Amino acid sequence: MTKFWIVFRKEMIDTLRDRRTLLVMVLIPLLAFPLMMKIVTSVTSAQVKKTMEKRLVVAYIESIPNSALLTKLKGESLFDLRTDISEKEIKTGIENGRVDFGLVLSPEFNEELSANKPGTLQFYYKGSDEGEMTKKRIDALLEQYEEEILNERFGRLGLERNIASGLNIVHRDVATMKEKIGEKIGGLIPYLFIIFCFLGSMYPAIDLAAGEKERGTIETLLVAPIGRMTIVFGKFAIVVAAGLFSVVLSFVGLFFSIKSMSEIPEEFIGAFLTSIEPITLISILLLLIPLSVLFAAIMLAISIFAKSFKEAQNLIGPMNFIVIIPAFIGMLPGVKLDMMTAWIPILNVSLATKQLMMGNADAGLLAIVYGSSLILATVALLFCTHWFNKESVLFRS
Amino acid sequence: MIEVIDLTKRFDLSRKQKKSLIQAEKKVSENAVDGINFSCQPGRIFTLLGPNGAGKTTTLRMIATMLRPTKGTIRVAGFDTVKESESVRAHIGFLTGTTGLYGRLTPREIIRYYGQLHGLSLKEIEERQKIYFDLLGIWDFADKRIEKLSTGMKQKVSIVRTIVHNPPVVVFDEPTTGLDVITSRNIMDLIRSCKKEGKTVIFSTHIMGEVSLLADDLAIIHEGKLCYNGHFDDFKRAHSGVSLEDAFINTVNGEVVK
Repeated sequence: MTKFWIVFRKEMIDTLRDRRTLLVMVLIPLLAFPLMMKIVTSVTSAQVKKTMEKRLVVAYIESIPNSALLTKLKGESLFDLRTDISEKEIKTGIENGRVDFGLVLSPEFNEELSANKPGTLQFYYKGSDEGEMTKKRIDALLEQYEEEILNERFGRLGLERNIASGLNIVHRDVATMKEKIGEKIGGLIPYLFIIFCFLGSMYPAIDLAAGEKERGTIETLLVAPIGRMTIVFGKFAIVVAAGLFSVVLSFVGLFFSIKSMSEIPEEFIGAFLTSIEPITLISILLLLIPLSVLFAAIMLAISIFAKSFKEAQNLIGPMNFIVIIPAFIGMLPGVKLDMMTAWIPILNVSLATKQLMMGNADAGLLAIVYGSSLILATVALLFCTHWFNKESVLFRS
Repeated sequence: MIEVIDLTKRFDLSRKQKKSLIQAEKKVSENAVDGINFSCQPGRIFTLLGPNGAGKTTTLRMIATMLRPTKGTIRVAGFDTVKESESVRAHIGFLTGTTGLYGRLTPREIIRYYGQLHGLSLKEIEERQKIYFDLLGIWDFADKRIEKLSTGMKQKVSIVRTIVHNPPVVVFDEPTTGLDVITSRNIMDLIRSCKKEGKTVIFSTHIMGEVSLLADDLAIIHEGKLCYNGHFDDFKRAHSGVSLEDAFINTVNGEVVK
């Protein structure tokens, strides 16, 4: 066994026995997607159910009785119809939550309808999130009523109902389901992969350098007949592996959560599974390797510099923002991989992953992403090894 | 054998470090070790005595190749510490009072790890492990994680780690710092047994009692310079009638010898 493997093997055993590392490297990535999806779908469906089943207080004012609309409103079992409220009270009632909606028919409403004109009515509501959702129930009722009015008019005049339609637009969306999914969730997935890649590497990097200094084990390693480069590479390989392992586990979590969630439509599951076919998955992992190398090299260098575990945590903590910001920008709609963004670290990986998921990745731009990431990762690794050879860093006090 | 020739180590102090030294009314010297010479012979215990900050640890770290000398030469078991650092490390054992062990590994795993790093085969590791585990009574906790062991148990494992590869040279840097009497006794026994086996032993301390118990040869270091270098018996004879502590203080305040 070469000395590199001796160090690698020992660091792996040591890392896999650290509860804190296991939590961040294994448990969180594995459970993050299932938990997140379960929470989102549960909250959303509960919210929709609540909005659809909520009893609504609807205030109704008509100067001259219009039995058709009133009958419709009365027919809705989940409406509490109030006809004893003035128009002024409707406004204040909606503001303080006693009334949900108000319908006020104009005094000319019936005359307008009789003259084949649109009947004017005022629709009071509060445009907050919940208000917007429940408003759809009143809208649907009013649309149905309008349709009845129009059908009656067209029938009376002996005309076809569709005479009022000037165009018959047939929408033909040529985007594949894979592209649609890539566009919708293709931004979120690389964001999470990047975050897990970073978090997965973080504790091993801190523990294997700053932790080693703090425990006083670094001296015993430095006096063993092994080159410092071998020590760095042994540790470095574990940190990189930890980051990639986290990503793979997060993907496993994502895969099983999508497959097992009954709330997700079959069509979506099928399309999602085709958007992450093996070649796409391998390409994404290949993209994450240089990124993981970059993270590992930077974090290990910082950790070598730090005097203690705590100092390393304090120094690496702010790096979160440096990682999150470009990863987040990559999630925004409209931000695409081009000749400029392909050179921006982290953002380029995020955008390239998105394109790979959409199935329309540009080979030239991907080459730039791979190339620039590898160059940057190599520079970071060289810096890390240089740092490990510096006495003032290694024995900093 | 260890030969130290005209050894100097200079650290570039930051402005902050210089300022704190001035505030503490200490001499601002960037030479932690300043042109020292000595040699340690096999089968003898060479003691490096000095107050805190005298340059003991820096000297021993240079011998163990952890630090590179700014000037001068060190040869350990015939190998140059700069040009043949890996060969030097293959021939030394190193133990300090603050040496740590990997908490999540077991004693057996730790000995195997260091044995392998020193190029021993698994069979050789097993054999040497058996000798030392028997001798120090480590078998009872050989498969328990280090983090669950007492300080004394840990120190026993550290001892085996230091000598698992049977090094001809053993370096002890204040090995009893922070240890209780019983654990310190184990270390003292180890140092004596290394001497018996004909190994070259160098150990640093600031405790006079340890010097009188162990030293064959003595070097007193103060502010990076050697104030005394010779046989311990000669030192005692030269200062007969005064306590060892007074002898040490007189030497440190007296003339510097090369």
